[in-house]
Amino acid sequence: MNRLQHIRSHMLADKNMNIATTLPSPLTTHVLNTAQGVPGGNMTISLHRLNPISSEWYLLTTGITNDDGRCPGLITKESFIAGVYKMHFETGKYWDALGETCFYPYVEVIFTITDPSQKYHVPLLLSRFSYSTYRGS
Amino acid sequence: MGSSAKSSSPITTHVLNTGDGVPAARVALSLHHLDPRMAIWSLITIGNTNEDGRCPGLITSDAFTPGLYKIRFETGQYWESLGQSSFYPYVEIVFTISDADQSCHVPLLVSKYSYSTYRGSQ
Repeated sequence: MNRLQHIRSHMLADKNMNIATTLPSPLTTHVLNTAQGVPGGNMTISLHRLNPISSEWYLLTTGITNDDGRCPGLITKESFIAGVYKMHFETGKYWDALGETCFYPYVEVIFTITDPSQKYHVPLLLSRFSYSTYRGS
Repeated sequence: MGSSAKSSSPITTHVLNTGDGVPAARVALSLHHLDPRMAIWSLITIGNTNEDGRCPGLITSDAFTPGLYKIRFETGQYWESLGQSSFYPYVEIVFTISDADQSCHVPLLVSKYSYSTYRGSQ
Protein backbone atom coordinates (compact mmCIF):
# COMPACT_ATOMS: atom_id res chain seq x y z
CA MET A 1 0.00 0.00 0.00
CA ASN A 2 1.20 3.57 -0.45
CA ARG A 3 2.88 5.48 2.35
CA LEU A 4 -0.21 7.54 3.32
CA GLN A 5 -2.36 4.43 3.61
CA HIS A 6 0.37 2.84 5.71
CA ILE A 7 0.40 5.82 8.09
CA ARG A 8 -3.40 5.86 8.27
CA SER A 9 -3.53 2.20 9.21
CA HIS A 10 -1.26 2.92 12.18
CA MET A 11 -3.41 5.84 13.28
CA LEU A 12 -6.64 3.89 13.00
CA ALA A 13 -5.19 1.42 15.49
CA ASP A 14 -5.16 4.16 18.13
CA LYS A 15 -8.80 4.67 19.07
CA ASN A 16 -8.19 8.11 20.47
CA MET A 17 -6.86 9.69 17.31
CA ASN A 18 -8.84 10.75 14.32
CA ILE A 19 -7.16 10.37 10.97
CA ALA A 20 -4.72 13.25 10.74
CA THR A 21 -4.52 14.84 7.35
CA THR A 22 -1.31 16.13 5.93
CA LEU A 23 -2.77 19.64 6.19
CA PRO A 24 -2.62 21.29 9.63
CA SER A 25 -5.85 21.57 11.58
CA PRO A 26 -7.55 24.99 11.19
CA LEU A 27 -8.27 24.80 14.93
CA THR A 28 -5.40 24.39 17.37
CA THR A 29 -4.87 24.50 21.09
CA HIS A 30 -1.92 24.81 23.44
CA VAL A 31 -2.01 23.97 27.13
CA LEU A 32 0.45 25.77 29.38
CA ASN A 33 1.03 24.94 33.02
CA THR A 34 1.63 28.46 34.29
CA ALA A 35 2.26 27.32 37.85
CA GLN A 36 5.34 25.34 36.88
CA GLY A 37 6.29 27.20 33.73
CA VAL A 38 6.04 24.16 31.48
CA PRO A 39 3.78 22.98 28.68
CA GLY A 40 0.74 21.05 29.85
CA GLY A 41 1.64 17.71 28.32
CA ASN A 42 -0.31 14.47 28.60
CA MET A 43 -3.68 16.16 29.19
CA THR A 44 -6.78 14.53 27.71
CA ILE A 45 -8.88 16.92 25.67
CA SER A 46 -11.91 16.61 23.43
CA LEU A 47 -13.53 18.76 20.78
CA HIS A 48 -17.31 18.93 20.33
CA ARG A 49 -19.69 20.77 18.03
CA LEU A 50 -23.18 21.87 19.01
CA ASN A 51 -26.02 20.52 16.92
CA PRO A 52 -28.17 23.66 16.61
CA ILE A 53 -31.37 21.68 16.02
CA SER A 54 -31.15 19.19 18.89
CA SER A 55 -28.96 21.41 21.14
CA GLU A 56 -26.79 18.39 21.80
CA TRP A 57 -23.01 18.27 21.74
CA TYR A 58 -21.51 16.01 19.11
CA LEU A 59 -18.07 14.60 19.89
CA LEU A 60 -15.64 15.25 17.05
CA THR A 61 -12.22 14.32 18.42
CA THR A 62 -10.51 13.13 21.54
CA GLY A 63 -6.80 13.46 22.02
CA ILE A 64 -3.96 13.86 24.46
CA THR A 65 -1.61 16.84 24.44
CA ASN A 66 1.97 16.04 23.51
CA ASP A 67 5.07 17.07 25.49
CA ASP A 68 4.74 20.55 24.03
CA GLY A 69 1.16 20.86 25.29
CA ARG A 70 -0.25 20.71 21.77
CA CYS A 71 -2.67 18.35 20.08
CA PRO A 72 -2.27 18.36 16.30
CA GLY A 73 -4.97 17.05 14.01
CA LEU A 74 -7.96 18.27 16.03
CA ILE A 75 -10.17 18.70 12.99
CA THR A 76 -9.92 18.56 9.22
CA LYS A 77 -10.58 21.54 7.01
CA GLU A 78 -13.60 19.73 5.56
CA SER A 79 -15.19 19.12 8.95
CA PHE A 80 -14.53 22.64 10.17
CA ILE A 81 -17.87 24.32 9.49
CA ALA A 82 -19.35 27.43 11.09
CA GLY A 83 -21.00 26.74 14.42
CA VAL A 84 -20.56 26.60 18.17
CA TYR A 85 -17.73 24.39 19.42
CA LYS A 86 -16.57 23.24 22.81
CA MET A 87 -13.09 22.23 23.87
CA HIS A 88 -13.05 20.09 27.02
CA PHE A 89 -9.82 19.85 29.03
CA GLU A 90 -9.37 17.18 31.72
CA THR A 91 -7.59 19.53 34.12
CA GLY A 92 -8.47 17.63 37.32
CA LYS A 93 -6.92 14.42 36.01
CA TYR A 94 -3.90 16.36 34.77
CA TRP A 95 -3.07 17.76 38.21
CA ASP A 96 -3.97 14.45 39.85
CA ALA A 97 -1.30 12.75 37.76
CA LEU A 98 1.15 15.32 39.12
CA GLY A 99 0.07 14.48 42.68
CA GLU A 100 -1.83 17.73 43.17
CA THR A 101 -5.42 18.83 43.55
CA CYS A 102 -7.06 21.38 41.27
CA PHE A 103 -9.94 23.77 41.88
CA TYR A 104 -11.29 22.92 38.42
CA PRO A 105 -12.24 19.27 37.77
CA TYR A 106 -12.35 20.14 34.08
CA VAL A 107 -12.38 23.24 31.92
CA GLU A 108 -14.72 23.77 29.00
CA VAL A 109 -14.23 26.61 26.56
CA ILE A 110 -17.23 27.23 24.32
CA PHE A 111 -16.64 29.40 21.28
CA THR A 112 -18.32 30.47 18.05
CA ILE A 113 -16.79 29.93 14.63
CA THR A 114 -18.35 32.32 12.16
CA ASP A 115 -15.70 32.14 9.42
CA PRO A 116 -14.21 28.65 9.03
CA SER A 117 -11.76 29.88 6.39
CA GLN A 118 -9.74 31.49 9.19
CA LYS A 119 -7.41 29.74 11.61
CA TYR A 120 -8.32 29.71 15.27
CA HIS A 121 -6.10 29.05 18.25
CA VAL A 122 -7.77 28.29 21.61
CA PRO A 123 -5.03 27.96 24.23
CA LEU A 124 -5.45 27.22 27.93
CA LEU A 125 -3.10 28.76 30.50
CA LEU A 126 -3.64 26.80 33.66
CA SER A 127 -2.58 26.58 37.27
CA ARG A 128 -4.24 24.71 40.13
CA PHE A 129 -6.35 27.73 41.06
CA SER A 130 -6.66 29.80 37.90
CA TYR A 131 -6.96 29.61 34.15
CA SER A 132 -7.26 31.85 31.17
CA THR A 133 -7.93 31.51 27.49
CA TYR A 134 -7.94 33.80 24.48
CA ARG A 135 -8.55 33.67 20.79
CA GLY A 136 -5.21 33.53 19.07
CA SER A 137 -3.83 32.69 15.69
CA MET B 1 -31.88 35.75 43.75
CA GLY B 2 -31.68 34.06 47.16
CA SER B 3 -33.09 35.81 50.19
CA SER B 4 -29.89 35.54 52.24
CA ALA B 5 -28.13 38.66 53.51
CA LYS B 6 -25.77 40.13 50.95
CA SER B 7 -22.65 39.56 52.99
CA SER B 8 -23.28 35.92 53.80
CA SER B 9 -23.17 34.04 50.53
CA PRO B 10 -20.17 31.72 50.77
CA ILE B 11 -19.81 31.79 46.97
CA THR B 12 -19.25 35.18 45.40
CA THR B 13 -18.34 36.37 41.95
CA HIS B 14 -17.19 39.57 40.28
CA VAL B 15 -17.36 40.12 36.53
CA LEU B 16 -14.95 42.61 35.02
CA ASN B 17 -15.03 43.85 31.44
CA THR B 18 -11.30 44.00 30.78
CA GLY B 19 -11.84 45.24 27.24
CA ASP B 20 -13.33 48.50 28.46
CA GLY B 21 -11.86 48.58 31.96
CA VAL B 22 -15.22 48.62 33.75
CA PRO B 23 -17.26 46.26 35.89
CA ALA B 24 -19.55 44.15 33.73
CA ALA B 25 -23.02 45.18 34.85
CA ARG B 26 -26.26 43.35 34.10
CA VAL B 27 -24.61 40.10 33.11
CA ALA B 28 -27.11 37.27 33.57
CA LEU B 29 -25.65 34.34 35.43
CA SER B 30 -26.70 31.13 37.14
CA LEU B 31 -25.21 28.92 39.85
CA HIS B 32 -25.66 25.16 39.64
CA HIS B 33 -24.76 22.25 41.86
CA LEU B 34 -24.00 18.76 40.59
CA ASP B 35 -26.15 16.15 42.28
CA PRO B 36 -23.61 13.36 42.83
CA ARG B 37 -26.21 10.59 42.88
CA MET B 38 -28.00 11.54 39.70
CA ALA B 39 -25.04 13.17 37.93
CA ILE B 40 -27.19 16.06 36.79
CA TRP B 41 -26.83 19.79 37.38
CA SER B 42 -29.48 21.41 39.50
CA LEU B 43 -30.09 25.15 39.37
CA ILE B 44 -29.54 26.97 42.66
CA THR B 45 -29.84 30.64 41.70
CA ILE B 46 -30.19 32.89 38.72
CA GLY B 47 -29.40 36.57 38.83
CA ASN B 48 -27.69 39.50 37.18
CA THR B 49 -24.57 41.37 38.13
CA ASN B 50 -25.14 44.81 39.60
CA GLU B 51 -23.42 48.04 38.54
CA ASP B 52 -20.29 46.89 40.33
CA GLY B 53 -20.25 43.57 38.45
CA ARG B 54 -21.19 41.61 41.56
CA CYS B 55 -24.14 39.34 42.34
CA PRO B 56 -24.80 39.04 46.08
CA GLY B 57 -26.86 36.29 47.59
CA LEU B 58 -25.80 33.45 45.30
CA ILE B 59 -26.23 30.72 47.91
CA THR B 60 -27.05 30.40 51.60
CA SER B 61 -24.61 28.92 54.09
CA ASP B 62 -27.08 26.12 54.77
CA ALA B 63 -27.25 25.12 51.14
CA PHE B 64 -23.47 25.31 50.69
CA THR B 65 -22.19 21.74 50.89
CA PRO B 66 -19.04 20.16 49.42
CA GLY B 67 -19.32 19.09 45.81
CA LEU B 68 -19.09 20.34 42.26
CA TYR B 69 -20.53 23.73 41.34
CA LYS B 70 -20.86 25.59 38.10
CA ILE B 71 -21.43 29.25 37.32
CA ARG B 72 -22.68 30.05 33.85
CA PHE B 73 -22.17 33.65 32.70
CA GLU B 74 -24.24 34.90 29.75
CA THR B 75 -21.33 36.85 28.31
CA GLY B 76 -22.52 36.60 24.70
CA GLN B 77 -25.75 38.38 25.61
CA TYR B 78 -23.74 40.96 27.53
CA TRP B 79 -21.59 41.87 24.53
CA GLU B 80 -24.67 41.90 22.29
CA SER B 81 -26.33 44.41 24.59
CA LEU B 82 -23.28 46.61 24.01
CA GLY B 83 -23.71 46.21 20.26
CA GLN B 84 -20.70 43.95 19.89
CA SER B 85 -19.95 40.32 19.16
CA SER B 86 -17.75 37.96 21.12
CA PHE B 87 -15.85 34.76 20.50
CA TYR B 88 -17.59 33.09 23.46
CA PRO B 89 -21.41 32.68 23.48
CA TYR B 90 -21.22 32.05 27.23
CA VAL B 91 -18.69 31.07 29.88
CA GLU B 92 -19.08 28.21 32.31
CA ILE B 93 -16.72 27.75 35.22
CA VAL B 94 -16.89 24.41 36.99
CA PHE B 95 -15.20 24.15 40.38
CA THR B 96 -14.84 21.82 43.35
CA ILE B 97 -15.69 22.76 46.91
CA SER B 98 -14.06 20.35 49.33
CA ASP B 99 -14.36 22.48 52.48
CA ALA B 100 -17.73 24.17 52.93
CA ASP B 101 -16.42 26.14 55.90
CA GLN B 102 -14.41 28.40 53.62
CA SER B 103 -15.97 30.96 51.35
CA CYS B 104 -14.98 31.00 47.76
CA HIS B 105 -14.66 33.86 45.27
CA VAL B 106 -14.96 32.99 41.57
CA PRO B 107 -14.36 36.14 39.50
CA LEU B 108 -14.48 36.39 35.72
CA LEU B 109 -12.33 38.83 33.80
CA VAL B 110 -13.73 38.94 30.31
CA SER B 111 -13.13 40.68 27.01
CA LYS B 112 -14.56 39.90 23.61
CA TYR B 113 -11.73 37.51 22.79
CA SER B 114 -10.39 36.30 26.12
CA TYR B 115 -11.32 35.48 29.67
CA SER B 116 -9.70 34.38 32.87
CA THR B 117 -10.73 33.27 36.30
CA TYR B 118 -9.06 32.38 39.57
CA ARG B 119 -10.01 31.20 43.01
CA GLY B 120 -9.91 34.14 45.34
CA SER B 121 -11.25 35.50 48.56
CA GLN B 122 -13.77 38.31 48.46
